[in-house]
Amino acid sequence: MIDAELASFMESAVMIIVGTCDDVLRPQVGRAVGAIVDRATSSVDLIVSEWQWPETIANVRWNGRLAVTFARPSDYVSYQVKGRAMVVPALAAHRACAVRYVEAMTATLVGNGLDARVTAPWLVDREPAALRLAAEMIFIQTPGDMAGQRLEPSR
Amino acid sequence: MTIRLRDLGACFEGVIPSILATASADGVPNISYLSHVEFVDDAHVALSNQFFSKTAANLHANNQATLLLVDPRDGDQYRLNVTFDRSLDGGTLFDAMAAQLRASSAQIGMHGVMRLRGVDLYRVDRVEAVQSPTIATAIRPSTADRHLAAAATLAVRIAEASDIATIIDAVLDGVREGFGFSNTMLLLKEPSGARLVTVGSRGYAWSGIGSEVAVGEAVIGTAAAERCAVRISDMSRIRRFGSAIRPTSADENRTRTIALPGLADAMSQVALPMIAGGSLRGVLFLESAERLAFSKDVEAALSIVANQAAAALSLADSLGNEPSLVTSEGNGALAGRPFNIVHHTFDDSVFIDNEYVIKGVPGRLLVHLLRLHLREGRADFTNREMRLSDELRLPDLKDNLETRLLLLRRRLEEKAAPLRLLQTGRGKLRLQLAGPAVLTVAKGKSSSSR
Repeated sequence: MIDAELASFMESAVMIIVGTCDDVLRPQVGRAVGAIVDRATSSVDLIVSEWQWPETIANVRWNGRLAVTFARPSDYVSYQVKGRAMVVPALAAHRACAVRYVEAMTATLVGNGLDARVTAPWLVDREPAALRLAAEMIFIQTPGDMAGQRLEPSR
Repeated sequence: MTIRLRDLGACFEGVIPSILATASADGVPNISYLSHVEFVDDAHVALSNQFFSKTAANLHANNQATLLLVDPRDGDQYRLNVTFDRSLDGGTLFDAMAAQLRASSAQIGMHGVMRLRGVDLYRVDRVEAVQSPTIATAIRPSTADRHLAAAATLAVRIAEASDIATIIDAVLDGVREGFGFSNTMLLLKEPSGARLVTVGSRGYAWSGIGSEVAVGEAVIGTAAAERCAVRISDMSRIRRFGSAIRPTSADENRTRTIALPGLADAMSQVALPMIAGGSLRGVLFLESAERLAFSKDVEAALSIVANQAAAALSLADSLGNEPSLVTSEGNGALAGRPFNIVHHTFDDSVFIDNEYVIKGVPGRLLVHLLRLHLREGRADFTNREMRLSDELRLPDLKDNLETRLLLLRRRLEEKAAPLRLLQTGRGKLRLQLAGPAVLTVAKGKSSSSR
């Protein structure tokens, strides 16, 4: 479902925002700091700071529902992936991925004219957890004519 | 500590995208970016309806949503638990947001492309700060009180002023001294209603007195056309139009147009309509090289100032209907150096010693006064006779003569012309000549650079 091009996009310096929902249907916003795509299984591991986004982790533990939007700041190219997820402990590879991501994302945003002190609160990897998402649906979310369209599995 | 929405003013400036999470009735979340969240009051926000259909469908099935707002000054994040209330397709809030969208799309050269389809109103149930590892989140208190006090002080200053020139100076100096904004312009509407003309400015490389902006054009013209404040907080991604290069007088002589001043590196701008008696009188414009220089609080306080100035100008105009006197001095000033004045009748442009001075009605006024002075040796002229003069062909002069005389007076000063209009008292002007004037009338569109 996730082809090589999309996988590379998800693993690049793009902003990652995650949506979850609690048991009374209250949606929740969070941010992830890095993604690792298993190209064979279309599974995506997202690293999320449980310290900063405890509700997001709790919601995934509770019902496994997850929506993730990947957006490139330079041109707004965006994809949203939805599916079921579970919380797994962050391994060394996840922690290393988060460190690399924060570094690359900071450089990208600073390159776009933002101050690193301003972007720091959005790029937090304290007490990381990994959300392992099995992608079920992928949508184009780049503003424009194609926005909202579902990507065919055969993309 | 309870966070009030009004204390999150900078989050509503549209600099850093906000995030909206919704969920379907069966609990499938959806998450997307939003360009702009509008502050309505401490219990409500509004979003322009720019959504993907999934978000809209979710909101109708499950009206709970969560917004994440970001303060562009320090990156601090705020979570708002909101409940979708209703959609609006008209009304004050809708009109203001539509005007803002039209103004910002005009700025990026997309005039008429972006149109507001709908506004969704949300009740805010809870506001909380998201944990941040950097510094303890410190809510900056609203600056509304301080700005209100500055507006009150400035309103007194405007109220004390009795003529148009003093009112304009009071506004421009008061904005600098009371609010700390040093790049300002005040433009008044031409009686035709199609254009605004600069009658005063502060903080620019050239004053731009007499420069014009078409109603509907860019930020200033949009504020006039829409009669609502237009504010831009971050112009870094907005295409800049090259208007900030200082024009030479050769440019002015050739184009018979005075260039509007501007900051080359402006990051924030605000244009406030000046309205009195239900009519637009002009626009007060401010700009700054700082991002986010003009908060919503500043806009609110300056709106009071702009409307107060409009009322004072209207009153000064009506008082100005009493006969006022122009006297002339230095009859021929035989001792001085002679100078040439050329009047081009096709656009009433006036050149003094080959330098463009002004055109249109102020140009006609200048030539009229000079001609009476030369022909009849007259020393005194009244506003009344100018209004009644057939020769002047003044359009709808009832409420604009004072402004035009001011424009003329300031422009002559700026050009260091050998012919000046001096204000000698209330409603009293003096035509002062530094040498013998030679007036030539040029008919047809001949070149001025002789």
